[in-house]
Amino acid sequence: MATDSNKPKIDKCEKRTAYLLVAPALILILVIAIYPVLQSFYFSLFDLRLNDPQKADVHLNYNVDLEQYFYYYPFLVDDLTEEVKAANGTERSRLKKIKQNLQGLDQNIRKDAKENYQKVKEIHQNFESPSTSLSVVKISDKTAKSFQSTIEKVNKQLKQISNDNELKNEKDVIGLANGLKGVIFEPNYIGFHHYAEELKSSRMWSSLWNTVFFTIVSVFIEFVLGLAIALLINKAFFGRGLIRATVLIPWAIPTAVSALMWKFLYDGQYGVVAKFFSEIGLLDHMSALLSSKAGAMFSVILSDVWKTTPYIALLLLAGLQVIPKSLYEAASIDGASKWKQFTNITLPMLKLSILVALLFRTLDAFRVFDLIYVLTGGGPANSTETISILAYKVMFSQTNFGAGSALSVIVFICVAFISMIFVKVLGSDLLPESSKK
Amino acid sequence: MEKKAGPLFYVFMVIFVFIVMFPFIWIFLSSIKPSSDLFGDNAFDWFSDEPTFKNYVSVFTNYPFLKYLWNSFVVSSITTIYTVFIASFCAYAIARMQFRGKTVILGLVLSVSMFPQIATLSPIYIILKNLGLTNSYIGLIIPYTTITLPLSIWILVVFFRKIPHDLEEAAKIDGATHMQTYWKVIFPLAVPGLFTTAILAFIAAWNEFLFALTINTSDNYKTVPVGIAMFQGQYTIPWGEICAATVVVTIPLVIMVLVFQKRIVSGLTSGSVKE
Repeated sequence: MATDSNKPKIDKCEKRTAYLLVAPALILILVIAIYPVLQSFYFSLFDLRLNDPQKADVHLNYNVDLEQYFYYYPFLVDDLTEEVKAANGTERSRLKKIKQNLQGLDQNIRKDAKENYQKVKEIHQNFESPSTSLSVVKISDKTAKSFQSTIEKVNKQLKQISNDNELKNEKDVIGLANGLKGVIFEPNYIGFHHYAEELKSSRMWSSLWNTVFFTIVSVFIEFVLGLAIALLINKAFFGRGLIRATVLIPWAIPTAVSALMWKFLYDGQYGVVAKFFSEIGLLDHMSALLSSKAGAMFSVILSDVWKTTPYIALLLLAGLQVIPKSLYEAASIDGASKWKQFTNITLPMLKLSILVALLFRTLDAFRVFDLIYVLTGGGPANSTETISILAYKVMFSQTNFGAGSALSVIVFICVAFISMIFVKVLGSDLLPESSKK
Repeated sequence: MEKKAGPLFYVFMVIFVFIVMFPFIWIFLSSIKPSSDLFGDNAFDWFSDEPTFKNYVSVFTNYPFLKYLWNSFVVSSITTIYTVFIASFCAYAIARMQFRGKTVILGLVLSVSMFPQIATLSPIYIILKNLGLTNSYIGLIIPYTTITLPLSIWILVVFFRKIPHDLEEAAKIDGATHMQTYWKVIFPLAVPGLFTTAILAFIAAWNEFLFALTINTSDNYKTVPVGIAMFQGQYTIPWGEICAATVVVTIPLVIMVLVFQKRIVSGLTSGSVKE
C-alpha cells in the first residue's frame, strides 16, 4: 500500500502497540497448536499406553513411585520382623537376610529420592495422596536394577520358605513382596521404533494409499464439477440467490450429520440411493454399496463430492466475477473461439482462486476423519480406512498412544509436504497484500 | 460471458437444485414416516399415507438431544466470541501497523490452519485429562481455538485492509492513540467483517467432530454432531429418530444460510480473490 511504504521509519510506539496486539493470538497459537504437535512427536518416541500404569507416562529414566512404595515396603518390613520372631533355625536367618536386603534397598532409594522420600512418607502417613510430580522420582539405573533383581529374588525365597514351613501371615507377606515389583517404572523411551514398525506395517501403507486415492479422486471430481457450476452460474439470472443458498447448505451442515444422512440413503435394504444405483445397473445388489470394498470407497467419495463441490464452486465463482469483461469483448472482436477464451483468459485469470481452492480442499481431504468414521468406520475390511482413522483407532481403541502419535506425526509430515508444494507454486500470492513489500 | 439465461438453463438449474437438495428432501420425508413405512414394502414411496411426528417427539424425550443442542450452542458461542475478539486485535495490527515479522506471523497463522487435528489430539487429550477438563465445556473451547483462531485472523486481515486509510490518518492528526483509533474509528467500520468472521467461526466450531468425540464422552457434555452419530446402537440404527434429529439440526442452519448467504460467501472467498 502506498501510504505504508511512504513512511521511512517505523514508529517505535506503533511497533510496541502492534506487538502487544499480536501477542495474545500468538501465545494461544503457540500453546494450543505448535506445542501439541511437538509433544505428539515427543510421545511418538515412547512406548506410551494409557491402559498400562507402568507405561501411562513418558519415562526417560528409571523412576520409583513412592506412593506405591509406601503402600508395600513399611508393612512388609513390619511383617518380616514378626516372622523373624516367630521362626527359628535356618529359617530365621533366611528371613533376617531378606529383611536386611530390603532395608539395604530402602537406603538406596532414600538416597536417590532425597527430600521427596520424607515428604511423601509424611503425606502417606496422613492417609493422603501425594501429587504425581512429588511421588514419582527419578532414581539411578544402578539402584533400579539392583532393586528389581533383589525383589525378584526376595519373592522367590519367600515363596520357597512358605512352601517348606508355615508362616504366620503368609498371604500378607507374599502379597506385599509381590506388590513391590510394580513400584519401579522402567524407561519407555524407544526412539524411532514406532516409525520403523509403522513403515513396515502393511495396514499403515494401505491406509496411506486409501487417503491418497480418496484425496486425489474426490478433489479432482470436485474441482471439475465446481468449475463447471461456477462457469454456468456466472451470469445474471433470476433466482441466483436461491442457487447460492442451495449450494451453501451442504457446506454448512456438520460432516458427521451429512455422513449419517448418506448412510441412510446407502442402506443395503432400504436406502433409496442404493436402490437407484442397483436399478440403473451400477450395482448387482443394493447391499453391495456399503459392503464391498470398491462400493464403500465410491460411497465415501460421492458423499464428499456432494458436500464440498459447492465450496469450490463458490471460490471459483468469486474469482470469475473479478475478471474484467473487456478482456472477453476484445477477444471476441479478434475472433477468438469460446474455448480459446476459456484457456487464454479464464484459466490464467483464475489461477489464484483455483490454487487456493485446491490447496484447502486437498488438505481437508487428506485429513478426512468424521465422514469416514461415521459412514463406514473404515470398513469393510479396512478398505476405507484413512491414516487419520487408523491413528485414532490405535490411540483410542488400542490405547497405544505412542504408536498413534507416530501415525499422527506421519499425517502431519504429509500435510506439511503437500502445503509446501502449493506454497512453492503460489508463492507470496497466498498472503494478503498488506504483508507484501 | 454475460448473456441472458435461456429456458434450457433454468431446466438445468432445477435439476441441479433437486440433486443437491435430494438428500435433505428424502430425510425430511422419512422423518415423518411411521416406522412401518420407513422399512418394508413402502420404504421407497415418497410420501407416507400416515405422516407422524412421533420421531420428533422421541428424539426429544428418549434422547438427551436438547442437552446436545445446548452444549453445542454454549461451546460454539464462547469459542466464537473469544477467538474473534483476540483475532481482531491481531488482524488489526497485521493489516494496519508497521512492524517486523508480519510475514512470519501470517505464515504461521496459515500453517496452523493447515495442521491436521489428529496431530494435536494426543497431547491435548492427555493434558486435558490430567487437568480434569475432559467432559467440560472449557475442554472443547480450548482445542477449538486451533481451528477458529487462524480462520478468524485470516478473514479479518482481508477485511481490515479494505477500510480506507484516510479515516485513520484523520484520527491520528486529531491526536487519537492507536487504541482510540481502533475502538472509535476502525471497530465500527469493521463490524460487518467481524460479524462475517463470527458466522464462519461459529459454523466451524458447531461442526467439529474429532475433539468432541474424544474429549467429551459423557452424555451431559456431548455436542450435536457426536450425539447424533452415537444414536446408532451396536446392532440397531434408529433411522426414524436420526432423520428427525437431522432435520432439527439442519433447519436453523438453512435459515442462517438464507439470511447471511452474502456474508458467508464474502468470508469464504476472502483471500482467494485479488480485487
